[in-house]
Amino acid sequence: MAIIDDVRTIIAKSLNIPIERLTPETRLDELGAESLDVIEIVFGLEEKFDITIPLKADEASRVATAGKTEGQDMPFSTVGDVAEIVQKLVAAKAPQ
Amino acid sequence: MNRVVVTGIGVVSPIGSTREQFWSGLVEARSGIGPITIIPTERLNSKIAAQVLDFDPAQHFDPKRVGLLDRFAQFAVVAARAAVRDAQLEITEEIALQAATIVGNGAGGMNTLDESYLKLYGQNATRAHPLSIPRLMANAACSQVSMDLGLKGPTFTIASACASGTHAIGQAFQMVRLGQTPVALAGGTEACITVGTIKAWEALRVLSTDTCRPFSRTRTGLVLGEGAAMFVLEDRERAVARGAPIYAELTGFGMSADAGDITAIDPDGAARAMRAALLDAKVNPDDIDYVNAHGTGTALNDKGETIALHKAFGADAERLAVSSSKGVLGHSLGAAGALEFAATALALHHQTIPPTANYQEADPDCDLDYVPNTARNAPIENAMSSSFAFGGLNAVVVLGRA
Repeated sequence: MAIIDDVRTIIAKSLNIPIERLTPETRLDELGAESLDVIEIVFGLEEKFDITIPLKADEASRVATAGKTEGQDMPFSTVGDVAEIVQKLVAAKAPQ
Repeated sequence: MNRVVVTGIGVVSPIGSTREQFWSGLVEARSGIGPITIIPTERLNSKIAAQVLDFDPAQHFDPKRVGLLDRFAQFAVVAARAAVRDAQLEITEEIALQAATIVGNGAGGMNTLDESYLKLYGQNATRAHPLSIPRLMANAACSQVSMDLGLKGPTFTIASACASGTHAIGQAFQMVRLGQTPVALAGGTEACITVGTIKAWEALRVLSTDTCRPFSRTRTGLVLGEGAAMFVLEDRERAVARGAPIYAELTGFGMSADAGDITAIDPDGAARAMRAALLDAKVNPDDIDYVNAHGTGTALNDKGETIALHKAFGADAERLAVSSSKGVLGHSLGAAGALEFAATALALHHQTIPPTANYQEADPDCDLDYVPNTARNAPIENAMSSSFAFGGLNAVVVLGRA
């Protein structure tokens, strides 16, 4: 299964919404994600892919309120952004 | 209504467990934060905390008794004994029957719980230690204080996370003020530095791996601490009559709930508690000289608390001296409000404002006078101490010069 589908599954479950609502362009803030939802999603992704996503609580809160993080290296606005971050982190650990 | 004064202060803290050590540590901004040594750290990402390192249970409890007390209860009992000694309070039969014992703690015997679960789940033990429940129950600390000192009046625990200590002191204040008891032992305790607890805090993504830098632009999060502070709160007439030491007068208590986010501070809720405390103390914003802030060192708290101070104090916020003790003490959760109440009472007593430690540079979102790194001698007539808990529970007290 493509990473994007796992990401959609985890987000859908955390926010209790049908997975069909989630496309790569869907914005997390528009889904009503609160900061703890974002943290729960990050936790779900870390568990699923055995990766570490360095997102702090204030950035999670910014995702929920402003729809994006402050730094450019960790865009977390859309479902597609999240999948891309996961993809990179999974690729980075592959050689080991 | 009776006037209520603080006649005894007892602390167990990362910067020492005498009143003198505690105060000098705060004034010198001597941070108690350091590498964790009391538990294994291999599995921790955040390996720093403000630990109580000079605490030897064998010095305070006989071998038979010590097995009954989790670390959080040990701290509370030792702090309560120190407070009674400090107040030169004689616990007569009459006082014993009336005195209230109110202790705030956010959790309970987490060391006991962690050890028990490690054995059961990690090592497949078939049974738990028989004293697990009496050690870990949330009311163990206040029960042990009451048993140790023989106090038989109203006795209970208040659990409101990071506001527990302040709620406990406020509740005891109201009881003494109303004449329900002439004396109360009140404060807070916490000993949460366990692998399980720190992993849980790590997962919330609010822990710093650097240090705690309240209100500084460079702040990276909170650092867990531990400890206890207990106080003798007493009817002022009685305290004066017996020639007791008086550190400060407790004049107001305000509470509120945000009814909003489970973790994020709500500036409106925090400001409502501040205003309620001012109203209760019958003082105006311009009467307050010093605020000991909640100041956890997280991006969100310090910004939100600054907004709350602007809302509650209006133009007077510019003039206020505000400092957080958490750069020195870390965040000891249910004990934090009590340790910070000690800092605030001692600030009034010594007419000195303890600084905000580890402060590096100004943050445009935090635009008040945070007394960075260096203590300040200044006349303080009235001071405020604030606690804002997860769950949106806010507690604020106002103290006056004795």
